[in-house]
Amino acid sequence: MDFALSEEQELFRTAIRKYMNDLDRTEAARAVISGKLDVVATATSGLAEMGVTAIPVSEEVDGLGLGALDLVPVFEETGRVLLPGLQLETLALAVPLLEAFGTTAQKATRLPKVASGESSISVAWYERDGSLFPNSFSCIAAKTESGYALTGTKTLVPVIGDPDTFITSAQTAEGKSLFLVKASDVASFRTLSVLDETQQLAKITLTNAPGELLGEPGHATDMLKDGLLHFNAALCSSMVGGMDELVKMTGEYAKIRVQFNQPIGRFQAIKHGIVNMKLDLETARSLSYYAAWAVETNSEDKAAAVHSARSFISKAFIKAAADSIQIHGGIGFTEELDVQLYLKRARYYENYFGSVRDSRRVTAQSLGWHSTPAKRDAVPVS
Amino acid sequence: MDFTFTEKEEKFRGELRGWLEVNLPKGWLQGDRKLSDDNEHYSKFLRDWQRTLYEGGWAAISWPKEYGGRDATLMEEIIYHQEMVRVQSPPLVNYIGIHMVAPTLMQMGTDAQKEEFIEKILTGEQVWSQGYSEPGAGSDLTALQTTAVKKDGKWVINGQKVWTSFAHLADRCFLLTKTSQSEKKHEGITVFLLDMDQDGVETRPIVQMDGHQEFNEVYLTDAIATDEDIVGEEGKGWAVLIALMLHERSGIAAQVFTLEQQFEQVIEMARTVRVNGCLLIDDPFVEDGLADLYARINGAKLNYYRNITHTLKNGRPGPESSLDKLLVSELTKELFDFAMTIQGHAGVLTNDDSIFDAEMQSQYLASFGATIGGGTSEVQRNTIGERILGLPKDLGR
Repeated sequence: MDFALSEEQELFRTAIRKYMNDLDRTEAARAVISGKLDVVATATSGLAEMGVTAIPVSEEVDGLGLGALDLVPVFEETGRVLLPGLQLETLALAVPLLEAFGTTAQKATRLPKVASGESSISVAWYERDGSLFPNSFSCIAAKTESGYALTGTKTLVPVIGDPDTFITSAQTAEGKSLFLVKASDVASFRTLSVLDETQQLAKITLTNAPGELLGEPGHATDMLKDGLLHFNAALCSSMVGGMDELVKMTGEYAKIRVQFNQPIGRFQAIKHGIVNMKLDLETARSLSYYAAWAVETNSEDKAAAVHSARSFISKAFIKAAADSIQIHGGIGFTEELDVQLYLKRARYYENYFGSVRDSRRVTAQSLGWHSTPAKRDAVPVS
Repeated sequence: MDFTFTEKEEKFRGELRGWLEVNLPKGWLQGDRKLSDDNEHYSKFLRDWQRTLYEGGWAAISWPKEYGGRDATLMEEIIYHQEMVRVQSPPLVNYIGIHMVAPTLMQMGTDAQKEEFIEKILTGEQVWSQGYSEPGAGSDLTALQTTAVKKDGKWVINGQKVWTSFAHLADRCFLLTKTSQSEKKHEGITVFLLDMDQDGVETRPIVQMDGHQEFNEVYLTDAIATDEDIVGEEGKGWAVLIALMLHERSGIAAQVFTLEQQFEQVIEMARTVRVNGCLLIDDPFVEDGLADLYARINGAKLNYYRNITHTLKNGRPGPESSLDKLLVSELTKELFDFAMTIQGHAGVLTNDDSIFDAEMQSQYLASFGATIGGGTSEVQRNTIGERILGLPKDLGR
């Protein structure tokens, strides 16, 4: 039995945390709010220098060929400071999709640049009704002599840090399909107003934009679901990092804030509230480690492992931030304190590529709860 | 990360599993697991079971070999709990003796105490209870008022204990008393190994809300103990109590695995019971709630594994292991609460009229004890807040 990150992974965490401190922690996220977007590029190249962007990329295309567990310390530490950027989308969704479904040429063209930090890739999936698994896409990919031409509008597309490529879903004769579209081929582009101002979302319009088919046509949904196992495991680590910071911040405040001649942390209403945050944090951390382990080892229960983690942590992150605001009192309601940033980020992630309800449904289905029940019997004898 | 068991560990599991198949009470594996309501039958059945465990060498595997144990590794201990939960083995009547009293005596008992008690604890010849709580000393154990006063070379004990588990079956009691009044509330406490079989000890069973009688009131009226019955030093009983609590290195393994098993039973109910022609599990409300419980119960088990990993690497449990009890007991309560809800109004039926298994009703009622016994959830939260998060101590403590 060994359920802990390895020594190397913990050492790497220390290095990432140090770099996040160098970036002045949440100041990078705050810089984005005030429009200073160059911090995103700075952080990406800093992380690339440390080898982060090469972690999930296979060795044949200049990566390190490491697994989901090696991303755990990275995303916990970047999540802790709400680092703005496309790390999750690029490293935990686009890379797994390209690695699993891309042709040798597609991988060779794009992944070395991801590994070196020169390129980030985003995903243009959603359309106007915001449905994760629509019956069909209104964005159409028409066959041309050299490939496909995509026409339609995509929304809720993450664009922070100028991705050079979008993995885009569109309808073909075979059904829902995935395409690689260059950012420079996007016809028009409107940034949206987002509750979490440390993020940037856009509505993009494609007009006969050249698209390169990714994977089999008609299989976009299955491919995305597969990619989302990687993505959700990484997203969980990021949220755990945020929760950990919230517990720390709230605990520290309860020790120094004095009312009725005593630190408020002495009152059980406050103390127990923070302990409940800590309980959720520990459960979240365990679930996120296990999810990453299940993805890395391709274990049989990986869908249940990932989606049970995602459903629990999405909720718990929101609750931790909300409770932290309450425990901080008036100051917690201000813009000055970081807690509000965590709340907005938690809300941003709640339904990002799947809701709590979606994840619970997948958990139940993947555990076979809906198949014909086995006959009830006594304890099975070996 | 590695969740596999070594070959040696699997061999250990196989050996235990094979032994259980042969030695569990007749019909047990087939589901005939009802224990007698009659106290004498109940007591005899459990003592016989412990004797069987002892004879097979399975009563106290973590004890050193010199005392009749197996020197089991922590992983073997965990496997032991997994297997015992798997077959829903009968309770260990001398749990307190084996897991708490004897290891404490091995550590700090006199040679005479070791000689007199340890083997009898192992065989089940002598069943133990622990006399801690009193009517005025529950969560605040230091407020205890039972006194032991020395008179003519003997200790005369007066007071009342309550919630004393197994006292009605016990031969001896690990008893907390006050032997002197001190300014400091952790001082002046003395632990006696009290002989229950004497006129000064009267035991009255308490009927619990689930109908069981697992604990008792114990009235001590001029009960007698000797110097030889004192554990550790006179007046230093608090240290003995702390030492005793530290002997649980495998923590709450049995509760973790039991919760996992109970969850599977609820899943089975949801996949069996139909309401209006529709399986419970196919109701999205039920599916959603159970998936949520799955995440949290699995999370609690994984927390436990993380804490075990810490113990394996560092030789002792980390501070976070104190979260396990709180999480698991609260989750048990939530699980059965939900199990009751989804049965609809028919959930009020119990015993033979229960729509699935009366365990749902009885475990629901029993679950309320888990967040009170062994330290209430509120006390657990104080401890976690102060020891792990470093929050200031509650006033009055």
